[in-house]
Amino acid sequence: MLNLYDYIFYFFAIVILGSSFVVVFSRNIVHSAFALLFTFFGVAGFYVLLSADFLAITQLLVYVGGILVLLLFGVMLTNNIVNVEIKSGTMQTLPASLIAALIAGLLCGIFYVSNWYLVPTTPELLNNTTAVAIGYAFITTWILPFEVASVVLLVAMIGAVIIARREKAPEVE
Amino acid sequence: MIPTFQDYLNVAPIIIVSATALLEIVFQIIFKGFKKYVNIFSILGLLISIYFAIINFDKVSMSFSNMVFSGKYASFFEILFCIIGILTILQSSTIQKYYSINKIEYNVLILISIVGMMVMSAGADLISIFIGLEIMSICFYVLAGFARNQIIANEASLKYFLLGAFATGFLLYGIALIYGTVGTTNIIKIAQHYPIALSLDLHLLGLILLLIGLAFKVALVPFHMWQPDVYEGAITNVSGLMASGGKTAAFASFLLIFSIPLAAGNNNLIEIVSVLAALSMIVGNIFGLVQQNIKRMLAYSSIAHTGYILVGIIATNNFGNHGALFYLVVYSITSVGAFGVASILENEFGKNLNINDYSGLSQKNKFLAFAMSVFMFSLIGIPPFAGFVGKYYLFAAAIQRDLTWLVILGVLTSIVSLYYYLRLIVYMYFRDPENQNNIIVTNDFKIAISFSTIVVILFGIYPSSLFSVIRYIFNIY
Amino acid sequence: MIPLNYYLLFAAFLFSVGVVGVLIRRNAIIVFMCIELMLNSVNLTFIAFSAFMGNAIGQMFVFFVMTVAAAEAAVGLAIIIALFRNKKTINIDQINLLKW
Repeated sequence: MLNLYDYIFYFFAIVILGSSFVVVFSRNIVHSAFALLFTFFGVAGFYVLLSADFLAITQLLVYVGGILVLLLFGVMLTNNIVNVEIKSGTMQTLPASLIAALIAGLLCGIFYVSNWYLVPTTPELLNNTTAVAIGYAFITTWILPFEVASVVLLVAMIGAVIIARREKAPEVE
Repeated sequence: MIPTFQDYLNVAPIIIVSATALLEIVFQIIFKGFKKYVNIFSILGLLISIYFAIINFDKVSMSFSNMVFSGKYASFFEILFCIIGILTILQSSTIQKYYSINKIEYNVLILISIVGMMVMSAGADLISIFIGLEIMSICFYVLAGFARNQIIANEASLKYFLLGAFATGFLLYGIALIYGTVGTTNIIKIAQHYPIALSLDLHLLGLILLLIGLAFKVALVPFHMWQPDVYEGAITNVSGLMASGGKTAAFASFLLIFSIPLAAGNNNLIEIVSVLAALSMIVGNIFGLVQQNIKRMLAYSSIAHTGYILVGIIATNNFGNHGALFYLVVYSITSVGAFGVASILENEFGKNLNINDYSGLSQKNKFLAFAMSVFMFSLIGIPPFAGFVGKYYLFAAAIQRDLTWLVILGVLTSIVSLYYYLRLIVYMYFRDPENQNNIIVTNDFKIAISFSTIVVILFGIYPSSLFSVIRYIFNIY
Repeated sequence: MIPLNYYLLFAAFLFSVGVVGVLIRRNAIIVFMCIELMLNSVNLTFIAFSAFMGNAIGQMFVFFVMTVAAAEAAVGLAIIIALFRNKKTINIDQINLLKW
């Protein structure tokens, strides 16, 4: 007997599956980018089902609002949209499919036979919103990774500027 | 737990290097003439960091709610990375003149990559190791493409980036599966679940995926494809930093994560790692034979040496662990030096890197030729130099652990490698110069190369000086 | 109630789709999108384990994965644009000055 929760799960599953196939196999790069939008939305939906509400919002902000926009900028800057058709081909399809089938088979096989060590059989979902607990954890237990993550962002910013800016006149020392 | 002042004191070396990098960015705007002093400023920061690492050396503890180790093992690597950083910055002083590199950003990226290495090698939790790895990798992606008007550098950077990000996916999937089986990402808490957890297929698969992720970073065969290309395309001194610091950091965290599961004696895991080590030794040395470009040759030599170091780690006995650490130190210093000499001869981006360009180097510059031959002899593993002692320990450890086939393979491939290392020495000493490029050697560079040469010879003659330190620190948990 | 296995199998499948994409596509930006698919599947695995174990570590980990993904996106697209400026292509099989 399926309840509403299950219907929502299958709905998101179909959205993600369909859109991820479009991302990988579409010949048009803009279609891929827009399909990625639906994948990100679907994954955010799963986060809500798994009671990670704050993460679902973050997923939308970071992936849809940030990464996807960046990707679209990348598409526009690297394709001369007016003149060139935005198409891109594939290569080495057979070996790649074999490798991926191997990975998928291995993972699925192991997930199928695993008896969940240390995992309770009844899911213990959190009832309250997670934002408060996450915020508290960030500035106590997880403070070091939190601060170090700021270094990641800083270095990414510096790096992106260095690599992408236009050449200026050589400096005289 | 709210962090205390002691926690911050324990990670002082990391904080100081990051602070140096941040101050450089700020000072660039405030002081107009700062550019001239940026190298000295970076070196000063690294020296202060070494000072704090020495202060913390005796106090082993875990800080920030068991996120990082400090003392002994962590301090040892902090000091090593600072030394590598100082050598790289000293050697870069020549190259900065040639291709109008923005000195300040170059220094900042090198310093932050060192922060990443330090966090990685001190990580007591998979999250610290992961974030450290990413800081280092992102800096390296940018540094690989730093000569950004060169197509070859852009390509190297793109290849490194795509393969690195791909490897990150595997690494993270591995961490997710490990977390799923034991419910924690803390290395010590994970270790408490052994050996039960090791009997779970899912946990083992997690470890193997994590291994694949790390194997990409240290360039073990068959995950090595990027390395020769990236080393060729990057600025030569940056290649030196990747070969020494990048590899050492990845191996430091490899030891932290894998020494317990390997010691627990899971045969599948040991077999997989042994095969990776064997393939790296074979492929690295055989492909090294046919390289004409010195940077590609050093890259393949680097792949082979990852294999040798891994042999010691698989053995998981005292001999092996001490040998691996000794070899990491010696190999780092040697490869920084070797890439440094290559950078001096290359007085225009991508030029003068062919083996032929080294002919008659001894007539042009005795000092460089001598230093380069010391490094080559150490890489071969010929007795008076430090490389020999390291290899001896690694192979002795493997024999103790009944991994004789790996030792035989290691010795055979070392003999094969004789050809390409000695060829370079023969070119330098027994051929006449082909071109008359003038070689400008700055004082900074002389200091760095003399230091590396002396270290390689000194640790070859008195290995016990370094071994006593390693024996003292080797008490990870 | 959907069991844990469903989420994990689904994530494994998404991961494999991402791997296929990385291996077969030529365009560097699409390869990068496929890497993002892989990272999303990893995040899903983390959160599924986290929810079913009632343990917050998985959720915290995902924040850092997202941070790193954003940082990599910025650097990666900068690299792609720098290459395009010099070479006018981002198809990785035409990027062949260096031997693969």
